[in-house]
Amino acid sequence: MSTTAKQALVLLAGGIVIAAFILRLARRRLLSTRYAIGWLVIGGLVALAAALMPFVGRLGRLANMTPTAVLLTMSSVLLLAISVQLSISVSQLQERLRTTAEAHALLARRLDELEQRGA
Amino acid sequence: MAPDAESPTSSTAGAGVLVVVPAYNERDCIAAVVDDVRGAGYDCLVVDDGSRDETAEIAAAHGAAVVRLPINLGVGGALRTGFRYATDHGYHTVVQVDADGQHVTDHIRHLLEAVDTADLDMAVGSRFLGHGDYRMPFVRRWAVRVLAAVIRSTGKAHITDPTSGFRAIRRPLLDAFAADFPAHYLGDTFEALLVSARRGYRLGEVPVAMRERQGGRPSADLSALVQSVLRAFTILLTGTTFDLPPRSGANHRAPRNAG
Repeated sequence: MSTTAKQALVLLAGGIVIAAFILRLARRRLLSTRYAIGWLVIGGLVALAAALMPFVGRLGRLANMTPTAVLLTMSSVLLLAISVQLSISVSQLQERLRTTAEAHALLARRLDELEQRGA
Repeated sequence: MAPDAESPTSSTAGAGVLVVVPAYNERDCIAAVVDDVRGAGYDCLVVDDGSRDETAEIAAAHGAAVVRLPINLGVGGALRTGFRYATDHGYHTVVQVDADGQHVTDHIRHLLEAVDTADLDMAVGSRFLGHGDYRMPFVRRWAVRVLAAVIRSTGKAHITDPTSGFRAIRRPLLDAFAADFPAHYLGDTFEALLVSARRGYRLGEVPVAMRERQGGRPSADLSALVQSVLRAFTILLTGTTFDLPPRSGANHRAPRNAG
């Protein structure tokens, strides 16, 4: 069996494992639908890469890289993009959490004032 | 929201002025600060920044109005809460005072006088203008110099003590801060000054004496320098993390709704 075929099999197995793992997390409600769908797409892309291994090999020859290097480069870029996207989400959540905490504190104070006046 | 029964008292010198004290685990110092502020005739709001000790209970027992944040947000978050409380309750000026007793409350009057006589939007209490003999560790002093130079480069304000947390802030700048105010390190002090200066708000300084804090650690000083330089550079590269409406247009406009 050629190296390319072996890599394709490993990729296919990897894609299936990712998809199964994500489905399991989603069923246990540890992942919201939005992220579950996103990660399923990524699992699908990995599996698709397996089918496209011959193409990856040709792409590699164009850039003077081995097929393995092409795959690693592509997955690094993908992981970087995901990390940046998650950082953006976390930043937004922090700002929302802050605004909510402040509003909560002011409302609690206002409720105290009203209760004292009513008592 | 309309002003209610907690509106500013009208008889004293402190009419329309709210002293805001952001406090995080300040059980040992908060009572003295609240007593000082109220003894001088000002309304006092303690914003408890998610303390795990009895800061809020002690402040309330000593007669301060208390707002309790459910989680720790940092000084900027506590301050924006205080600014919102002030604008909701009809105050026109907020004086920010630290809860650790570092600030000498006698100087509140000097800050307010400076705001009035020089028609300022914000008066900053400076440790470096000759009043008292506040000594700062060498490394931290350099951090302050870097930040002061950045503010001076706007050509609109000269602030010798840009990390001072002892300030008087008046409307319309108060309204603008209530709508948008940064919560990260150096955001509430340095960056707030920088953006206010750029947007045409009038800033001034008043010499104040501050009591020295117990034991500044050298590692913390170095970290302050590194963070100050980094923040100064990132602001040059990426711009400031928040913005204010320009001064001229801010007079009669309702505060922008944040978030």
